[in-house]
Amino acid sequence: MKTVLIRVRKNVRAVGVRSYRYIFIILFSLIAVGMILLIVSAFADVSRGVLLAGIISATTASACLAFFHFRLTTYINQLTYLLKNAKLEHIKMKRASDLGPLAEAIVEFITGYVEKSERIETEQTEISLQLQLLKKQKKNIEEIIYSIRDCVIVTDPFDRLLIANDAARELFGFGADAVGSGQIGEFIGHSDFVKTILHSRRTGLRHVKHEFNFETNERTKIFDCIISCVKDEQDVTSGVVAVLHDITREKQISQMKSDFVSHVSHELKTPLASINAYAEMLVDGEAQDTETVNRFCSVIQTQAQRLNRLIEDILNISRIESGLTKVKKEHLSVAILIQDAALMIDSYAREKNITVKIQAPIICDQVYADRDMVSQVIANLLSNAVKYTPAGGTVETAVQVNEAEQIVRVTVTDTGVGIPAGEIEHVFDKFYRVEANKECAKGTGLGLNLVKQIVEKVHGGKVFVTSTPGRGSTFGFDMPLATGVTCKTVLEK
Amino acid sequence: MSEEKQLKVLVVDDEIHIVQVVAIKLRNNGFEVITCENGEQALKLATNEKPDLVVTDFQMPVMTGLELVQNLRSNPDTAQIPVVMLTARGFALKEEQKEELRISACVSKPFSPRELLQSIEEILKATVPA
Repeated sequence: MKTVLIRVRKNVRAVGVRSYRYIFIILFSLIAVGMILLIVSAFADVSRGVLLAGIISATTASACLAFFHFRLTTYINQLTYLLKNAKLEHIKMKRASDLGPLAEAIVEFITGYVEKSERIETEQTEISLQLQLLKKQKKNIEEIIYSIRDCVIVTDPFDRLLIANDAARELFGFGADAVGSGQIGEFIGHSDFVKTILHSRRTGLRHVKHEFNFETNERTKIFDCIISCVKDEQDVTSGVVAVLHDITREKQISQMKSDFVSHVSHELKTPLASINAYAEMLVDGEAQDTETVNRFCSVIQTQAQRLNRLIEDILNISRIESGLTKVKKEHLSVAILIQDAALMIDSYAREKNITVKIQAPIICDQVYADRDMVSQVIANLLSNAVKYTPAGGTVETAVQVNEAEQIVRVTVTDTGVGIPAGEIEHVFDKFYRVEANKECAKGTGLGLNLVKQIVEKVHGGKVFVTSTPGRGSTFGFDMPLATGVTCKTVLEK
Repeated sequence: MSEEKQLKVLVVDDEIHIVQVVAIKLRNNGFEVITCENGEQALKLATNEKPDLVVTDFQMPVMTGLELVQNLRSNPDTAQIPVVMLTARGFALKEEQKEELRISACVSKPFSPRELLQSIEEILKATVPA
């Protein structure tokens, strides 16, 4: 019986749960045979051996049945407990038991389920990370677009505003709420610009470049406009990106340069015209006496010098700007340079009947500077003062020493035409000429810029100007006082 | 050049040396020359002196050469005076303006007084009856 049970058990392990059916049939058969033998022994005379065999077989079969039932129930309870508590590793340990195939199937099912669940979890984490990354990238791109100084406008296929950066909102004067709320024509007053965007979207033209004038705060600004169409997978225009680049300053510079070339060409041609004409007159014998010959030669000479001065001015500014200028600094008295400059301007001032007053006493006014350059600064200021002062006027120079601040201040005050308030801040700009005073005198707009370059860039000083239109102007500069020089007073000449 | 009738030329330029050189050239060749430094003075002189021809600079303070010619043309007394324009900016004067204002010749600076004289003589020959 024991051998049978062992064999049965082995078979059960081998054939799995379905084998239990046969075990139970055999056990029930044995119990039935035992019972039949007991009943038969009660009514018939059966040998004790047969009876005993019947009893033993019935008892053993019952015990086995009870054992199997107990074992099966225990396994099922354990499996239920383990499944409920998701202890997969323990379930795996039960694979070796009689319910092996069932446990194995459950384990396989659960393992598959768990793996799938883990895969989904990993995918979800990845998606979440990608989403975060995309959000961050979107934010970065938006920040880039919003911080661009050029105006950026993006529209959708229905010509609604998708993106308008700060510069665009400032230019067109609409708020952040305009984005996504309506068509661009509702927010942008510049009809030509709107038409161009709509046209680009309809025609799908990828790049259109136009020059647009926009009126902003009573100023006209000029923009270069680049419009690109955004195409989808089917090559259909799904929106438009318009970038407006402010070229007002470039245009102004270009205009200034062109004005400068025009001015300079005029200024160069004027002395050249005199030189050419007088030289030809000499060749043609139009100077009939020595005095006239000398006069003609003198004109040629002064005009050649004038031409040279103009060319020098242009070259000096260019050299100072490029840092190529050679500076020879020495200890100088500003007042003495003023006296020299006044002598040079004297004939011009007398020609115009203008009085040039020079401050006489010189007190410790030494600067450490380039003689030629400072002379040129003073000459330019004096010549401007005489140039823009009507006949009978006065030009006065002054030198002040501020020992506390260690500066020497030079001023040239005239009773000239003056400078309108709106233009005064530009008078030291290169090529700039005061519009109202253009007719008073010719000039290239270089003189005062040269003054500023020499004083500020080369000597670390500061230029300044004050003016009352119709009454006159005061131009001046501060320069650092020379250190280590003994102060002395020079008495009036 | 007729000896009985001395032709009168008005020379206008803010550049004194130019005025002088043109004046000397013309005087040496038998013209009577009157000069001034700006358009305003020129307009008065043209009205009062009635010159046979005006030589004017293009760019001048107070009144430009172009404005001077416009003013001359608007006054019946001076409307017919031939004008020679001296200019350092040839490009500044458009052909239409030249025709509209009946500017007889444009002479670019630097210029040759010899050629200027020739040009003036030709214009006067065509416009002033001998």
